[in-house]
Amino acid sequence: MKSIRAGKNVSLFAVLFASIAVPSMHAQDWFHLETSGGATRIRIAVANFKPQAGDPAAYKHTFDTTLFADLTAAGLFDIVSKDMIPQSTPGTQAEISLAQWSAAPASAAMVAFGNVGVANDRLVVNGFLDDAKNAQYPQVFAKQYNEAASDDSARQIAHRFADEIIARLGGGVSGIAETKIYYSKRTGTGKEIWEMDYDGANQHEITHLGAISISPRVSPDNSRVAFSSLGKDGFQIKMYSLLLGRLVNFTSAGGTNVSPAWAPSGQQLAFSSSRTGDPEIWISDPEGRVAHKITSFIGPDVSPTWNPKTGGQIAWISGRTHLPQLYIMDADGSGVQRLTDGGYATSPSWSPNGQFLTFAWDRKYGPGAPGGQDIYVMEIASKKWIQLTHDIGPCDFPSWSPDGRHIVFANGNGAHTRIMSMLADGTQKQALTGAGSDMPNWSWK
Amino acid sequence: MSNYATTSEERDDRFGSGLAGAIVLHLALIGGLAAVAIFEHVHTPHWGENTASIGAIQASMVSAIPLPPKAAPVKDSVLASEDVTPTPQPPPKEATQPPPKPTDVLIKAKTPTKVPKVAPIETPVPPKHPQPAPVTPKAASGDAATQLPQSVSQLKNGTAALTVQNRVFGNRYAYYLRIVANAVNQSYATYSGQADPNASMNKSVTLLFDIQRDGSIANLHVENHSGSSTLDTAALRAIQHLDNFPQLPEGDHITIEYKFDYRQQ
Repeated sequence: MKSIRAGKNVSLFAVLFASIAVPSMHAQDWFHLETSGGATRIRIAVANFKPQAGDPAAYKHTFDTTLFADLTAAGLFDIVSKDMIPQSTPGTQAEISLAQWSAAPASAAMVAFGNVGVANDRLVVNGFLDDAKNAQYPQVFAKQYNEAASDDSARQIAHRFADEIIARLGGGVSGIAETKIYYSKRTGTGKEIWEMDYDGANQHEITHLGAISISPRVSPDNSRVAFSSLGKDGFQIKMYSLLLGRLVNFTSAGGTNVSPAWAPSGQQLAFSSSRTGDPEIWISDPEGRVAHKITSFIGPDVSPTWNPKTGGQIAWISGRTHLPQLYIMDADGSGVQRLTDGGYATSPSWSPNGQFLTFAWDRKYGPGAPGGQDIYVMEIASKKWIQLTHDIGPCDFPSWSPDGRHIVFANGNGAHTRIMSMLADGTQKQALTGAGSDMPNWSWK
Repeated sequence: MSNYATTSEERDDRFGSGLAGAIVLHLALIGGLAAVAIFEHVHTPHWGENTASIGAIQASMVSAIPLPPKAAPVKDSVLASEDVTPTPQPPPKEATQPPPKPTDVLIKAKTPTKVPKVAPIETPVPPKHPQPAPVTPKAASGDAATQLPQSVSQLKNGTAALTVQNRVFGNRYAYYLRIVANAVNQSYATYSGQADPNASMNKSVTLLFDIQRDGSIANLHVENHSGSSTLDTAALRAIQHLDNFPQLPEGDHITIEYKFDYRQQ
């Protein structure tokens, strides 16, 4: 009898408890997680490449770190940390066990792997990309690279392999691992034009003029660099051929001639010239001939940049309303539109898809005003802008990468200026150079 | 007054005897129940004490629980669908005969034997604009039944299903289609907000487009209108605003069918 009563009590208690507990459990059970766009980044694992014949250990290290850094910097992938990848180093398609890579903790959707060997002073790299989720046909592509053995070629091969992966998996835009950045670097008394890889490696001097050379702009075909140089007749546009390794002709004119900008066709150059008294935007051919003026406003007009998508529009900085503001116009000087509503805007750069402008802006300019000069991106159609840099000191001279996913800019005061790069949403900032570097320009390809 | 008192006393008496009777009855009932329960408790075998094998419960380990494989519900195929088949379009209304015009009214002539003229029945003119045809599941042809979507993604507003017409390509380059689906879904997440929720609820639009060798999009058009123009436009814009896909790993072009189901979650 007792036992039955106890049983009844228990069941009654259970029912009571359930009736109390169910609503609260119900309320807790229905939470909903949602990713911002319903889209996820591709999770990719990069295996350490397997050493083959010869003694490629030194090159292999360079290759592995460069490949990993390139894919991380691309901003496209969710990279599996090297701590989480399996211990095995598969060298060929036959050696890889994809189940190992697609399982936790790596959980990779894609695996890049291969082998590195040295034979007869040649560096031979076989690279593979596999789809870990496709057991039937895993291979996405395979590539063989064969270069003279050197640390630099190991890095270049890694760049090329990374670009190949990005081209296959990215949004149809090829990678930037093989692109260059041109910049102005303080050397003793003057400034020279320098060149480096996109990741800051391989920095070397291009010009040896012993003058102050600023604002380099490389041509769309990577054959020439236009820049502005201070000589005995003031600032003049100079043209340096990267193929010939020397200055080539560019017609000089009176006044101050600064901030050249290549049209995407490579057939025209826009720049600012004060040959008629007031600094205006001029357009000429790449030899400086048939120059014609396209702006006629009182106040300085400087820093033109072409719409790289259409070649039909120019954005520039105009001081017609006292403080410099950002404007756009058609390439014949018509259809002028003001984009910024105040502050102090400088040095615009147009995104490769023609949709955005990035520029340096001090929104609260004036004595005692808060804020500083930072990098902004504005969507031209809507004039909506976002701020990309915060609290890292003055930032200036932004320049888009050809894939439209990165921006390089100068950061710091005076002699401490260094060059930094970031993703176009302001994340993954990293310094590329030490102090004394300024005015970066990303090559077109 | 006194009369009333006596009756009430009588009533009390009757109530007292009734109460006693009820208590006795209840006690008897409880006692009976308890007796039955004890009897049951004693005489029914306890759990696990079957007389044949006392205290021995056999359990064998299995490596995995053989659950039936869970497959995503197939929307397109009537054979495998969990959903209720959509109700067919209501039968077309019978064309009513137009009212006779005054000129058509027959005046009794002298020859009543003549067959009266009947006004020709107007056949309904087909509409100028293509009408939204409801998506009818094709169960008759085996081809349509085997054509499963390559990827079905749950989005904020319903689902999006990608189908590639070239099955060989779909199997060989599954990664490529994942990239396509990812890009389209991300874009659609932005533009689906432009669809009118009231008009688009539970409707679906099917788009067809080609991806060219270089990854560009061509021949984008609406295959099956949803009946909600805002949903059609939002889906079209989602694809039109894509920059480019990666270049095709193989072949000259592929044709992609993309179906967006609009559903509020």
